[in-house]
Amino acid sequence: MKFTLIKTSVATITATLLTLSATQVSAQNIQFEINGVNSDKGKLYVQLFKGKENYDAGKAESSLIIRAKPGTNTVTFNSVDTGEYAVRFFHDENNNGELEFNLFGMPVEGYGFSNDAQPNFGPAKYKHMKFDVTNTDETVINKSNVIY
Amino acid sequence: MLRREVLKNLALVGTTSLLTTVPFLGRANSGAVNHNAVNYKALFKKALRHNPELIGFANIESNFSETKLKLEGKLPSELKGQFYRNGPGKHERGDIRYQHLFEGDGMLQHFHLDGNNVYHRGKFIETPKFKKEESAKQFLYSGPDTKIANSLPVSSSNDVNTANTNVISVGNDLWALWEAGAPSKINPHNLQFEDQVNLGTGSKYGNSLKGLPFSAHPKIDPNGDIWNFGLNGSGHVVLYHLSAKGQTKNVKLINAQYKGTMLHDFLITDRSILLILPSLISERSHNSGYFESIDFAPQMPMRVLVVNKSDLTLKREFELPPGFAFHFGNAWEENDGTIHFDASLYPNINILHKMSRLMQGDVKQEEVNGNTTLFTLHNNGKTSQHSFNDISEFPRVSNHKVGLKNHKLYHLSSAHDSLWSDAVVSLDVDSGKEDKFSYGSEFLVEEHVPVNPRAKEGHGYLIGTALHIPTQRTCLNVFDLANLKAGPRCRAWLPYHLPLGFHGNFVTS
Repeated sequence: MKFTLIKTSVATITATLLTLSATQVSAQNIQFEINGVNSDKGKLYVQLFKGKENYDAGKAESSLIIRAKPGTNTVTFNSVDTGEYAVRFFHDENNNGELEFNLFGMPVEGYGFSNDAQPNFGPAKYKHMKFDVTNTDETVINKSNVIY
Repeated sequence: MLRREVLKNLALVGTTSLLTTVPFLGRANSGAVNHNAVNYKALFKKALRHNPELIGFANIESNFSETKLKLEGKLPSELKGQFYRNGPGKHERGDIRYQHLFEGDGMLQHFHLDGNNVYHRGKFIETPKFKKEESAKQFLYSGPDTKIANSLPVSSSNDVNTANTNVISVGNDLWALWEAGAPSKINPHNLQFEDQVNLGTGSKYGNSLKGLPFSAHPKIDPNGDIWNFGLNGSGHVVLYHLSAKGQTKNVKLINAQYKGTMLHDFLITDRSILLILPSLISERSHNSGYFESIDFAPQMPMRVLVVNKSDLTLKREFELPPGFAFHFGNAWEENDGTIHFDASLYPNINILHKMSRLMQGDVKQEEVNGNTTLFTLHNNGKTSQHSFNDISEFPRVSNHKVGLKNHKLYHLSSAHDSLWSDAVVSLDVDSGKEDKFSYGSEFLVEEHVPVNPRAKEGHGYLIGTALHIPTQRTCLNVFDLANLKAGPRCRAWLPYHLPLGFHGNFVTS
């Protein structure tokens, strides 16, 4: 009885491990580099989205908040599955936890997107900011400049 | 602030229609050059040879260093101060010529009057756009009508702010104005661009006013307070009440539901703000320009929104017969609430499209004249109006009469088929009597402004510039305000011409 149980448990664990290694080895990282931060005021809020649907819905895969420092700031999203991603971020300069807008709905704090995708007479388009994480990547590096 | 709410705010960066609601700007283009590309630069150059009056719209290459003007007649010794003007000066870079008169980068003209002599200098306003394009020696951004191949992306209207329409004195600074974005702060001593003004700074509004449009026609109360508005493409209007030094006192959004996409001027009385919404619609498709798309809607009433100055709330609304105006002279209110105002009124929007034809050297005139029209808005909701049989643009009243009952209206006029204005008029609005001076067909006449040293209406001077076509020189003219038909009592000549500009002001020393 005991032997069978152990055998089953080992089998189950092995099967699980095999399954994991076959489909979901999360060995990839995304290193996101934000350039041109203009002060050490406040924080940078950085969101990672997996796929267009989640981006459009505002459903983040992961969020990171770091203290801002002038110049280049780098965050890393660890153990990321393969797939298509987008990053957007803002510089919460007045440290009130929100992205400020003017009365007509335009951001008045710094913000940006992966691939340095630019708004152009309208919001930056998902298709310009998306990038892939594949099995062959260990660390995917993506860069952006803050739009102030 | 909860994490959830933070993330929700981040979401707005994607879903807010960033800039789709800013009316003034061009469309993002994929990098393809306009297939219907017409070589405006070549056309204009050719047309200039046959039509020398087009000199007023020629490109200006560089700044004008200080020049002493040559006087004819004597300057009034009490007329001491600075006369500033603003207008588009950079119409061309490389092979590209802008397709609309309103697109060129702003250039400030400064006349210094010291009671004996007049000195001039002119300087391009070094906005962020200008600096980048000057460095690259080409246009990098598409204009409202002109598409540039591989143009730089625009995330805020201030990226393409040309600061080209008007210039006012605010505290110790000059503000150069462009209606789709922020004022540009200019150092009056060296005419250097300093910054784009963040209107809420130092007030309870914080950063919420940053990047908002601030029209090129603020109205200054006789007590010095500054009133203004800004139009959003959604049809909402932001109203501003600033102190004389430019500090924000009160700001409100009004849902004007205005779909005309262009709103250039407005008025104040002692008690109210008037938003006069012309009969315009925009038929904008992906490939068409901003100005190009604006049409006159002949069945659409012109609407007047009357707003309380005290709290910036909408008081009432009037409907007028269809019409269009760029400019209004003045408004005033009787004790019983009856409102009077005047406009240089057009029955169509042909004048706007003429500003595009001019850029390719097309001098054809087609029913493009406006006339002085006086409106009355009665308490019972009825309206009445009276149009003078004249040709009228660039109306002005004395500074101390803004928002109060004025007896005089100063404006430019022209012969019926003139390319630009060629006469100045002092209109007695009560009697309809005109005191007029015609410069004649050799001159292109620019906005003239009244100066009243003793704050007495009708007494003082009228000052303005005119471009002499045959000699390609601009002159500054000073008239006796009570006798325009006698001609300028003093005329000061530059050895070169200035680009035809839009608006300016006299700042007394």
